[in-house]
Amino acid sequence: MLALTFETFRQLTVDGFFRGCSYGLLGVGFALILGVTGRFHFAYGFTYTLASYLGFTFAFRVNWPFWLSAALGVLLAAVLGALIEAGVYRPLARNAGATALLAVFVAALGIGIAGENLIRLLWGANTQAFYGPRKVGYELWDAIFINFDVWQAASSIAIAVLLAAMLRYTGLGRQIKATRINPDLARTIGIDADRIYVIVFFLGTICAGVASFWYALKYTVDPGMGTLPVTYAFVVAFLGGTTSSPIRVFVTGIVVALIEQYASIWLSVRYTQTAVFVVLVGYLTYLAITQSAWYVRVRTRTAAGV
Amino acid sequence: MTVWISYLDQILLYAALALSLNLLLGYAGQVSVAHAAFGAIGGYTMAYTTQAHGWNFLLGTALGMVIAFVIGTIVALPALKLTVEYLILLTLGVSSVILGLVVAIPSLGGTYGLINLPAVDLFGWHLRSPTDWLIPSGVAMVLVYAVCHRIGESPAGRVLKGIREDPVATGALGKNVFAYKVAVFGLTSALAAFAGALIAGWLRLATPGVFGFSFSLTVFAIVIFGGMANLTGTVVGAAIVVLLEPILERVIDLEPAKAGYVELIVYGLALAVLMRLRPQGALPEGFSVWGLLRGRRQSTGRIEMVADWVPTTVQRVVEHDPAHEEPTLEEEQRREHAWHDAPVVLQTKGVSKRFGGIIAADELDIELRRGTITALVGPNGAGKTTVFNLLTGAVAPDAGSILLHGEELVGLQPHQIARRGMVRSFQDVRLFNRLSCLQNVMLAVQGQPGEHAGKLFLSPRAVDRAEQETRERALAWLRFVGMGEFAAVPAGALSYGQTKLVSLARVLATEADVLLLDEPASGIDTKWVDTMLDLIEQVRDQGRTVCVVEHNLHVVGRLADHTYFMELGRITAQGTIAELTSSPRLAEVYFGT
Amino acid sequence: MGRDVDAGSTPAEGTGVVAAPATNGDGAAPLLVVEQLQAGYGRKQVVFDVDLHVHAGEILGVLGHNGSGKSTTIRAILGINRPFGGRIVFDGRDVTNAGARQNVRAGMAMIPSERFVFADMTVTDNLLLGAANDPDGDRRARRLELVHELFPILRDRAGQLAGTMSGGQQRMVSLGMALMASPRLLMLDEPSLGLAPAVVQQIFAAVRELADREGLAVLLLEQNVGQALRIVDRCIVMRSGRVILEETRDQMAARESYWDLF
Repeated sequence: MLALTFETFRQLTVDGFFRGCSYGLLGVGFALILGVTGRFHFAYGFTYTLASYLGFTFAFRVNWPFWLSAALGVLLAAVLGALIEAGVYRPLARNAGATALLAVFVAALGIGIAGENLIRLLWGANTQAFYGPRKVGYELWDAIFINFDVWQAASSIAIAVLLAAMLRYTGLGRQIKATRINPDLARTIGIDADRIYVIVFFLGTICAGVASFWYALKYTVDPGMGTLPVTYAFVVAFLGGTTSSPIRVFVTGIVVALIEQYASIWLSVRYTQTAVFVVLVGYLTYLAITQSAWYVRVRTRTAAGV
Repeated sequence: MTVWISYLDQILLYAALALSLNLLLGYAGQVSVAHAAFGAIGGYTMAYTTQAHGWNFLLGTALGMVIAFVIGTIVALPALKLTVEYLILLTLGVSSVILGLVVAIPSLGGTYGLINLPAVDLFGWHLRSPTDWLIPSGVAMVLVYAVCHRIGESPAGRVLKGIREDPVATGALGKNVFAYKVAVFGLTSALAAFAGALIAGWLRLATPGVFGFSFSLTVFAIVIFGGMANLTGTVVGAAIVVLLEPILERVIDLEPAKAGYVELIVYGLALAVLMRLRPQGALPEGFSVWGLLRGRRQSTGRIEMVADWVPTTVQRVVEHDPAHEEPTLEEEQRREHAWHDAPVVLQTKGVSKRFGGIIAADELDIELRRGTITALVGPNGAGKTTVFNLLTGAVAPDAGSILLHGEELVGLQPHQIARRGMVRSFQDVRLFNRLSCLQNVMLAVQGQPGEHAGKLFLSPRAVDRAEQETRERALAWLRFVGMGEFAAVPAGALSYGQTKLVSLARVLATEADVLLLDEPASGIDTKWVDTMLDLIEQVRDQGRTVCVVEHNLHVVGRLADHTYFMELGRITAQGTIAELTSSPRLAEVYFGT
Repeated sequence: MGRDVDAGSTPAEGTGVVAAPATNGDGAAPLLVVEQLQAGYGRKQVVFDVDLHVHAGEILGVLGHNGSGKSTTIRAILGINRPFGGRIVFDGRDVTNAGARQNVRAGMAMIPSERFVFADMTVTDNLLLGAANDPDGDRRARRLELVHELFPILRDRAGQLAGTMSGGQQRMVSLGMALMASPRLLMLDEPSLGLAPAVVQQIFAAVRELADREGLAVLLLEQNVGQALRIVDRCIVMRSGRVILEETRDQMAARESYWDLF
């Protein structure tokens, strides 16, 4: 057991908070996609990775201004996310009928695998350092963090709040919510579900891209960087609820990260990541036991829809 | 040359692992991404016991299989009630937990794993070179193939496929879906551990990298490539996946590292493209070398629309049957009296059910009598569907009792009630689309020895004989409903009217005493309606007990010997249709004021 | 005038030659003409050879039992399910293969029989969604005002979640949603289901008023013949996917019993 000083506790909390902002943003993006479209978008990790690699390339190979490159990387990755929906998932779901969910999952898997290795092929398999602005350290209440952490947290929170506001107050947000809540009725009143899906993929991938950029800036880029974030995105989206407000999902991300950090008090660091998954498995088991309905259903589209 | 033998070993071992996943995924429809993690259990157990404790290879492998079996069974418990999305998530979590533990436990080597394992020692024969491994890996693959094939292509495998297509309908035919799921998870996990131990022995190491999540995805891809429920395809898939890299290296002259990436890019894209073109996989289901050798014709993989076709019984009915017209008043009275004279087979007493604030059933006293057709009618929301759900055990009543041949049914599971002799058809038909019509009906036959693993392996000849008998009986029922020529056609290719006929054959094949038919004539055109009604009347004349829920009063008028009128969960009137339709109050209830 | 069939005979004999759709009193052509519609889901056909027409300002009752094909017919008209065959002409234009979005823009609206509101959204959000395709903010505001006049409770409970309202109030929300887009054809699928007679009368009265005042054409699908007959001008009866009868309101009301039709 880690010697628990108040100092250590504060550090863990601060670390947990910042990591949680990242998990939260990932979860928000993924929850939006899964909740509205029902696609098991495993290729989320690929778009995550690509955003940083593109930013890296624009900044250090083409030598464009740093922040512009980063933004461009995120944007292009988001466009790719939208294209995957329009070009792969949508025609596939139409064709596959009853087995649509599995087919989309497998296709997403395929794109994810292909994408990750395409990155390896084009950029090399090694990790690359992603240099940017100078790191500046801060200390607050005996806990140490850096300026990147602060910017990451601020932007993550801002995006989550903006998304929540959009869903709540704008016409587009209303249409997105309607498509999520009752897709059949949405189509009946003339909402273009195809267009909504594409928009949702774009927005969700922006979340992934931004989270990816901050990670790359603080650490490195490497082709496999997307696998673990996708898993966390899944977990946070699921625990937070795919039909919940982005704020709630975001907070769930912070909670998950804090659990992970605090778990290191009792468990050696080797086990803390596993602890998160144990929580996931436990929660799923709990759901299965308490559901009186014959089958537990995520609020996703049925095969009768797109 | 040795390097190609090494690839061959790899193909055989990968295939051994993927075959058990095909049984789980392709036959039973359980989407698991944790398969390599179960392989890890086998690999690590074998590695640890042989390296640290000097165990015999086979013993270590056996222990790994036992552990994997137990964990697999535990995983199956929540998996029973989860839909595909949740199941993927669950197996993702389980895989991460297993791998996380394997990395974390110090004696298992951490992120480096267990390396420099001693060469596998099979009773003095040391397996060192790829050539040494050729026969053992071949034997192992054939062994796993044989087990999976025996189960998959047996009556038990048919039940697994039913679970894959529609677990609720499978349960309604008397199969214990829960037990099958637990068994298949446990078994395939143990088989995965078996393959995993061999892979670890062949590599002489067990590391998180080897059994990591990306390996799970590779194995998953092999099964998808080869085709669901297609064991030969899995072997082919393994060959494709393993050989792609060296081919790329040599033919396109790529350096090894790059060839590795291109390979993964190719088969990642291939997965996506395959799903777009053929969601069920490259080779059709049921294709197997065994089948080819036996000369059996392969069922077509592509589902094509069967031409518009009218059953022959309709022509017979239209030409000969005077009962095509409405029954007269005297006829109705006669049938009502016959109903009262017939012995009671099913009886409900005071059955009630509330869903929240809504009363779905209120003190229901219903009698179904032998050799008669009883109908349930009422306006929308009267609770007719709930009655069927209560009778079959899909929903448990709050109060009351349901007696079949005097035996209490309340508290029993749907599959137990089906076995005791009461089955239902579904309003939305629920045929198993990727199975042929014959297989759909064969699944319904009760008491098949081949559904038990023990009998399957220990008394194969008895099982095969029983299977032949099952096939004949199923075919007879298909012919009875006029669909005999469509025995080999996948149910998904039929028109709606045809599916309703096959669905009737399916419930008939259970030989249950009581048949609950949910809207048998709904949604089909007139000529089909007459066929259906004719068949139901024949079934009644054969002495079965039939209960029908219908909205089409025309149909009810022709069929029913006795009718219950339901309103908001209560039975407020009963008798002949003439009696019910002559009541002004009922007219007001049904049609409004 | 009606196309009559011996009630009780097999429906297959009932469909005869289609008379040319009558003009209404002003001599104008019908707003909606459906000819020999074949429709269903996936590969399952449940609607056979259906003909119907309705004029502006007219309410056509579509009566029939559960599963008679009423819902499938209007879903095919709206364009949610693609028709297998036949022709649909709306306002003079062939819209047989037009999708729901196009048809809603052109002036069709439908209210399904189940799950007809967005339960987790407020009343106002539900109503605004009805006008999702309307870019004109002023017109939206005017329609909202009209809906509030028709059903004042929607103004009182503007911020309440639609799913928490009573069945009748939810029906009002759904009707309001449909009206927001200024539709010219309104298709209602069993609006009286599960509602008390008084509430049904209130809603039906609102529908009649809209038909008279705005020239709204209405397809009213109902099993509740009694309530439907209060407001319809004509009706057709469907059974097993076919139209077996077409009569005026008076002819239908004069019938002694409806059991033969269902």
